[in-house]
Amino acid sequence: MTEYSNDYTVDEILTVLMAREVRNDDVMIVGVATPMVWAAFTLAKVTHAPGAIYHYIMGNTFVYEPRQVSLLYLEMNTARAYRFQNSGECTLESLPSEKLTTIEWFRPAQIDIFGNTNNICIGDWSNPKLRFPGCAGIADFSMFYSRGSFLYTPRHDKRTFVPKIDFISGVGFPDGKPSICGGSGPQCVITNLAYLTFDDNSKRMKICTIHPGIDLETVKNSTGFELLIPDEIRETKPPTEKELKTLREKVDPLEIRKLEVLAGKEREELLKHVIEKELAMEKRFPKLIN
Amino acid sequence: MSLKEAISTHVQDGDLVGIGGLSFWRKPISACREIIRQNRKDLTVCTFVGGIEVDMLIGAGCISHVKSCFVGMEIFGMAPYYRKAIESGLIKISEESEASIALGLKCSYLKVPFMPLKGIIGTDFPKVRNDIKQFEDPLGSGTQLMALPKIDLDVAILHVPYADEFGNGNIAGAVWLDDDMAKTAKKTIITCEKLVEMEDIRHLPGKAQLPMQTTSAVVKIPFGAHPTSCYPIYTFDPNHIQRYLKTEFEQYKQNFIVNKTNVQYLDAAGGSQTILNILL
Repeated sequence: MTEYSNDYTVDEILTVLMAREVRNDDVMIVGVATPMVWAAFTLAKVTHAPGAIYHYIMGNTFVYEPRQVSLLYLEMNTARAYRFQNSGECTLESLPSEKLTTIEWFRPAQIDIFGNTNNICIGDWSNPKLRFPGCAGIADFSMFYSRGSFLYTPRHDKRTFVPKIDFISGVGFPDGKPSICGGSGPQCVITNLAYLTFDDNSKRMKICTIHPGIDLETVKNSTGFELLIPDEIRETKPPTEKELKTLREKVDPLEIRKLEVLAGKEREELLKHVIEKELAMEKRFPKLIN
Repeated sequence: MSLKEAISTHVQDGDLVGIGGLSFWRKPISACREIIRQNRKDLTVCTFVGGIEVDMLIGAGCISHVKSCFVGMEIFGMAPYYRKAIESGLIKISEESEASIALGLKCSYLKVPFMPLKGIIGTDFPKVRNDIKQFEDPLGSGTQLMALPKIDLDVAILHVPYADEFGNGNIAGAVWLDDDMAKTAKKTIITCEKLVEMEDIRHLPGKAQLPMQTTSAVVKIPFGAHPTSCYPIYTFDPNHIQRYLKTEFEQYKQNFIVNKTNVQYLDAAGGSQTILNILL
């Protein structure tokens, strides 16, 4: 019998839910500065998807073995690649390939009802109130993937879920029409409050399940547009004891994934702790997970 | 050739400069510090994923235009001077994606004005880029495509672990766009950790990804990528990056850039303790 836990943190439920989306034949794209995605992929790899392959964007490298999540030695991990390619080859050959079942998680700064996303700026592009780092490859690939694109955010609030995004840098279902360029479009949005999907017909975002301890009103009040609500709302299946133990002890014992959810002083302290621990490592290599 | 000479000979005000590496990895930071010392102006910088190098060059007032798909300080946060410069309209930005840069360099190889892509369609990029255009496949398939313009670099600046005196450069880890930049830029400056013999390059995996026939200058600068990484020798320096983020740029410039030789720079950055911290 599966033992579900009721003792977990926001980063843990997000990571576990993201891991559950991975299939055994997936190529898992690991982007820049996304330790939660890396943790989710590695959790999947050591639990239900041992055949999945890492594709590290930062290395443009393909890696098979799962290793512990690391901040400082990430490049050492990617250096154990069985294939390197330059970024041009990566862009042209690997990502849009119909032969590969690729899974990539995007974390939008803004998202609308049809899953269009913005990682460029807040306000007018030519005179922005806030400029973000940029969208990297999201503009190239969000519309391509046959498995669709996968979205997550640990910040389910009205600043993220908005009626109109300020810049479309990732394509969802434009005006409710099917995804262009032959991709399947956004598949789900996993947040700190709920698991959201998109309606088959209207392509509007809808509630699929709500996380334990969260009520419907909270989800509605945290979303800047009207979510479709099913007749019967189910509860998200929380992390199991086994998933949590694997994540905490094997995949990410330094809790680097938490850097994606913490802010301010708490975050600064965790960062300091991780750096100290990793600098003290005798063997400067992320540990292989058996 | 010295770094000073390499930069003064090959980098001019107003140049389109390609910077190799990605994010916090294998960035030619010592060369960027030299550009700041020589007070180059009005540069357009093109880099795949930019970080501290773009931010420093903006802080020093060397850049008027950025071509990149991402400029940030990764897990450490936003790039402060990049952000401020765009929000205040101080610099121009050409909104790029990964493919628009990769394909722009491919155009330069092929001597064609544009390359087609199926991506970017449906985004707001065409609203802010008047040099890209959606069109229908002229061969009649009906496919909608996006035309992305060529990127002709004036100079590429790349840091690698190994190079020989003839200008062959070998990269031990990921190459990113360094090889495309080296081969298409009008001039290519390579800084390296170790100067080796051509015979050594022959035996290294990947051999000369950056070939001698397209290299203009090679300069040996140990730890020349610090505070970014240079696999397989050292990782990035998280303490220095945080220090950068906590210091006003003018102060940082005085502490680490102005009148600093490489040895003085490394001493100021923590000397042997820092080196032992980052060595892999």
